[in-house]
Amino acid sequence: MNTKWKLFLIATLAFPAQQVLSQDWMVPSDHTALTNPSEYNLENIKKGKELYTRNCQSCHGDPGKNNPLALLPLPVDIASERMHANSEGDLFYKITTGRGVMPPFESTISENERWKLINFIMNFKPGGNQLLVDAPPVKVKLLASVNENKSTVEILAEREDAESTGLENAPVIISAKKTFGNIELGRAITNENGRAEFTIPENVIGDEEGYVSIVVSMGDGYDAHEVALEKAKVGKNKVVPRLIKGEVLWSTNNNIQLWLLLSYISAAGGAWLVIGYAIYQIIKIKKLSKSS
Amino acid sequence: MNKIESPEESRKKFDRIFTDLTRSIVKKDELTRFWFFILLMFIGVGLWGWIIQIDKGLGVTGMRDYVSWGLYIANFVFFVAVSLVGLLISSVLQLLNFSWGKTISRAAEQIAIATVALAGIIIVMDMGRPDRLLNVFLHGRFASPIVWDLTVVSTYLAISVLLFYIPLIPDLAIMRDRMGSKVPAWKLKIYTILALGWNGNPQQYAIVYHAVRVLMILIIPIGLSIHTVTSWLFAATLRPGWDSTIFGPYFVVGAFVAGTAALIILMYVYRLRYGLKDYFDDFHFDKMGRLLVLVCLVYLYFNINEFLVPAYKMKSAEGVHLKDLFSGAYAFLFWFVQIAGIALPIVLIRIKYFRKPLPLSIISVFVLFSAWFKRYLIVIPTMEHPFLPVQNVPEHFHHYAPTSTEIMIMLFSFFTSIFIISVLAKFFPVITIWEYAEEKGIDRKYFTEKS
Amino acid sequence: MENKNRRNFMKTLLASIGAAGVAGSSSILSSCDRIEAVDGDKITLLTSSGELVEVDKSQLKPAELPSLSQNQKQGREGLPGKSWVMVIDLSKCRNARECMKACQNHHQLRPEQHHINVLQMQDAEHTAPYFMPKPCQHCDNPPCTKVCPVNATFKREDGIVLIDNERCIGCRFCIAACPYSARVFNWFEPRDAEKYEGVTYNIEANVPQKKGTISKCLFSADLLRDGKLPSCVSACPNGVYWFGDRNEDAVTNGTTKETLSFSKLLSEGAAYTLMKDLGTEPRVYYLPAKDRAFPFTGEQV
Repeated sequence: MNTKWKLFLIATLAFPAQQVLSQDWMVPSDHTALTNPSEYNLENIKKGKELYTRNCQSCHGDPGKNNPLALLPLPVDIASERMHANSEGDLFYKITTGRGVMPPFESTISENERWKLINFIMNFKPGGNQLLVDAPPVKVKLLASVNENKSTVEILAEREDAESTGLENAPVIISAKKTFGNIELGRAITNENGRAEFTIPENVIGDEEGYVSIVVSMGDGYDAHEVALEKAKVGKNKVVPRLIKGEVLWSTNNNIQLWLLLSYISAAGGAWLVIGYAIYQIIKIKKLSKSS
Repeated sequence: MNKIESPEESRKKFDRIFTDLTRSIVKKDELTRFWFFILLMFIGVGLWGWIIQIDKGLGVTGMRDYVSWGLYIANFVFFVAVSLVGLLISSVLQLLNFSWGKTISRAAEQIAIATVALAGIIIVMDMGRPDRLLNVFLHGRFASPIVWDLTVVSTYLAISVLLFYIPLIPDLAIMRDRMGSKVPAWKLKIYTILALGWNGNPQQYAIVYHAVRVLMILIIPIGLSIHTVTSWLFAATLRPGWDSTIFGPYFVVGAFVAGTAALIILMYVYRLRYGLKDYFDDFHFDKMGRLLVLVCLVYLYFNINEFLVPAYKMKSAEGVHLKDLFSGAYAFLFWFVQIAGIALPIVLIRIKYFRKPLPLSIISVFVLFSAWFKRYLIVIPTMEHPFLPVQNVPEHFHHYAPTSTEIMIMLFSFFTSIFIISVLAKFFPVITIWEYAEEKGIDRKYFTEKS
Repeated sequence: MENKNRRNFMKTLLASIGAAGVAGSSSILSSCDRIEAVDGDKITLLTSSGELVEVDKSQLKPAELPSLSQNQKQGREGLPGKSWVMVIDLSKCRNARECMKACQNHHQLRPEQHHINVLQMQDAEHTAPYFMPKPCQHCDNPPCTKVCPVNATFKREDGIVLIDNERCIGCRFCIAACPYSARVFNWFEPRDAEKYEGVTYNIEANVPQKKGTISKCLFSADLLRDGKLPSCVSACPNGVYWFGDRNEDAVTNGTTKETLSFSKLLSEGAAYTLMKDLGTEPRVYYLPAKDRAFPFTGEQV
C-alpha cells in the first residue's frame, strides 16, 4: 500500500469520528432558557455530589482531574470550560434525554435531584462562587509492620508537617494484594498516639505457602504513600486443586478413559485383523492357481 | 435345480446366462456415451464448485455460525444410510439363507461401495481446512466421535470392496476366458490380473465361500456401527432434537429403508437397460417390496417414539423445535417425508399390484427422496434452534438456505456415486455369473471352458 | 529471625522484578504487530488492541517474542496455580457494548463475529427483560473439547478453554456441541487479513485468525499472562464484570478496579450459572438483574 492509499483510508476513517465529536448537541431553545429551581447552597451541592458519585463519576471522572473513561465521544469533565458553555437548562435537558453512550436519566433520577446535580456541577464553574471546597488532604507519614506471630498489622500514622505528632482518629485501610487488585481486609482507627493495631482475619488466603502481601493506606482526605508489606506469613495456604486429573473425556489422549481406548483398539484392530485374514485368503487363491 | 442336464444343454444355458449378464459390459451405444458425458460434466461442475469453496472459504455456502452444518452433513448422513443396503442384502439375507438375495447382492455391494466412498469425500468437502486432513491421523483424539466415524467408514469401505471382489474372482476368470475380442485388450488384461490365475479347483471355491462368510459376519457389527456412530455425531450433543437415546437404531432402520429403496431403483434400471427381465424378475421385486414394507413398519415405530414422546412433554427448547416441524416452517417437508417416505409404502406396497417392478420402483423413488429430505430435517431445524437467542448477527444467520455452490458440490456427490456404479456395471457383471449358473444347476466345469 | 531474612530477601527480589517491569514497559510497544510508517525519529505502530500510536524510535527495544511452537506449548499449559473465573452483574449491564467492541478489536473479528455477545433476554412472558453479556462459559465439563477430533480445542489447567487454529481442521463439531452458541467460524478470510500477514500466531489471543478455523472467547489469555484483565472486562463502563482467580477467592471489577471476595460476591448476590442442568459446569457466574438503576429500553444504545 502506498502513502496515498493510507491517507485516503485515514481520512475516510477519521471523518465520521470527527463528525461525532464536533457535531453540536442541539438543545431546544425553550430548554436553554430554563432556570434552576433548586437553590445554589451548600446543602444542595452536597446532595448533588452524592448523586454525581453514584451515577456519573464512573464515566465523567473526578471533577477537575480530567480523567474520564475512554469512550467515544469522550465524557466531558464537569469542571471544564466546555461543560460550562452549557446553560443550566441545557445541562438539565442533556441529563434528562441522554445521547449516544450517555444514558437518559429521566426515569432514574427525579427532576428535583437532577437540578441538585446541576447545583453540584455549578460548584465548579470557572470563575464562579465555589461553595463546596474539598479541604486539602492532610499529608501523613504512614509506617506499618506485620507481626506474624500475633497475626496483626501495627500501624503508626504521623503528621508530616508538624513535629511528627501522632495522627488521632484517622481511618487506615488494610488490604491484601490479589492478582488484579487489593482486597480490603478491614479498617482501623488510630488512637491518640497515631497508633493502630489490626488483627488479620484468619481466613485470608495467601500464596501456595500462605504468604500474604499486605498493603496499608489511608482513607479519603489523607495524602500518604501506601505501605506495601510483601510476603508476610499470615494467611492460609492457597489450595490449587488439579483440574485435569484421572480419566476425563474432555481432555487429551493422555487422560482418555482406559475402557474407551481399549474398546476402540480392540474393535478397530479386530475388524482390520479379519480384513487382513480375508486378504490372506485372496493370496491363498492366487497361490493355489499357481500350484495346480 | 438338481436336474442333470446334458453337457450340450448346460453349455447352451450357460452361454445364454453369460451373454445376458455381460451385456452391460459389451453394450456400446450413443446412450452410454451420452450418460457418461452427463455424469462427467456434473462431476466437473461440482469439482469447480469445490475449488471456489476452497478459495473463498466455506462462506460461499449458506452455513453460518448458528446453522453450521448444512446440506453437506445431511447428504453425508444420507449416503451412509444408503450404503447400509450392502449389510442388509449381501450379509443378513444370505446368512438367513434367503437365496433370492444372491442375485441382487452384487448390485447392493455396488451401491454400498459407491455411497460409502462418497460419504468419506463429502466429509472432506465439508471441512474448513481439507488441507489439514492429515491432522486426524497425527493428532487424532480417540474420544471424538469423528475419529470413530472415520474409522468405521474406512473399515466398511474396505469390507464392502472385499465383499464385492472375492465373489467376483470366478466371474473374472470366466470373462478372461470367454470375452475374447468382445472387449478391448486392456480390459481383458485387467480381468486377467484381477482373476489371480483362477483355475476353478474346488479348494479355491472353498476359500471363496469361507472368506465371504467371514466377511458377511464381520460386516454386521461394522455396518451397524457405521450408522450408529454417524447418529452419535448428533446424539452426543446437548441440542434439542438431537439429544436422543434412540438415535442409533433409529438411524439404522432409516438406513435400511433408504438402502432398500435405492436398490429397487437400481434393479429396475438394470432390468430395463440391460434386458435382465428374467434375472431381476417379478419374484425379486415382490420380495424386495415385502422387505421395504417390513423396514418401513419398524421405521414407523421408531418415528412414533422419536416424536411422540418429546411432543407429549414439550420441554421448552424441544417444544420450539417440534412446533417448527409439526406446524411451523418445516411442516410441509416434515409431513411429506412422513407420508411419502413411510405411510405411503406401508399402505400401497401391501397390495400385490404395487409390488410389480414399475409401481414399486416409482414408490421407491418417493421413498428415496423422502429419505434425503428426512436427513435434511434431522440436521438443519435443530441447528436453527439453539438454546440461547440468535441476536446481533445479520438476518441470513437466522435461517439456512443452501447456495448454488453448495448445491453444485452436492450434485457432485450424487453424480460421482452414480458414476462409480456405472463404471462398476461397465466393467463387471451386475449379477454374479457363477453363483447364478450354479443355482440353475449348471456344473462348475463348464464355467472355465473357453468358448 | 529466619523468617525475617527470608522476607527481606523476597523484598529485594520483588524490587528488582518491579524495576524490570518498568523497563519492560517499552517492550510492550515493540511487541506491536507491525510497523506502519517510519517518519524521522517518530514511529507509528499498530498495537494489539487495534490502535495506531506514535512513539519515539529510541523507546523501542527488540522484544523477545516466543516462537510459534513455544507459544503453543505455553498456551496449552496455562498459568500455573490460577483458576480463572468471571462474574457478570446483570443489574449493571446497560448494553453499552464496549465489551463487544474491545473484544472484536483484540481478536481480529468481523462485526458479525462475537466472542462475547450482549443478548436481550426475557425468561418468561411476564418477567422483566434484561441484557445478558454472554462470553464462552469456559465449562469445567466442556462439551466442545470432548468432541474435537484433533485436540485443536482443549482445556488448560487454569480453566480456560483454548483453540489452536494452527491445528483446527474446521469440522465445526464443536459449534454443534456447544449449548451456549459461544463459537464462531471464519467462513471467509478474517477481518484485516492483509494487515496481520506474517504476524506470528499467538494461541492465547487466537490472532491472526485463519480462514476455515474456529474462534471463540479465551478470557484474553494473552493479557492474563501479562497480569492484565481481559479486554472486555476492562472496557466495560458500567462495572458489569468481575474477574479473578478462584483459588485465591478474589475477583476484581474491570471498571472500578475494586477487589472483592469471590465467594462472598456469589453468595450475597445470589449468583447462578447458565443452564446448570446441562452439567457443563461453567466458569462464568451471573448475578441476577435485580434492582437495576436504569430502565430497560429494549433497544441498542
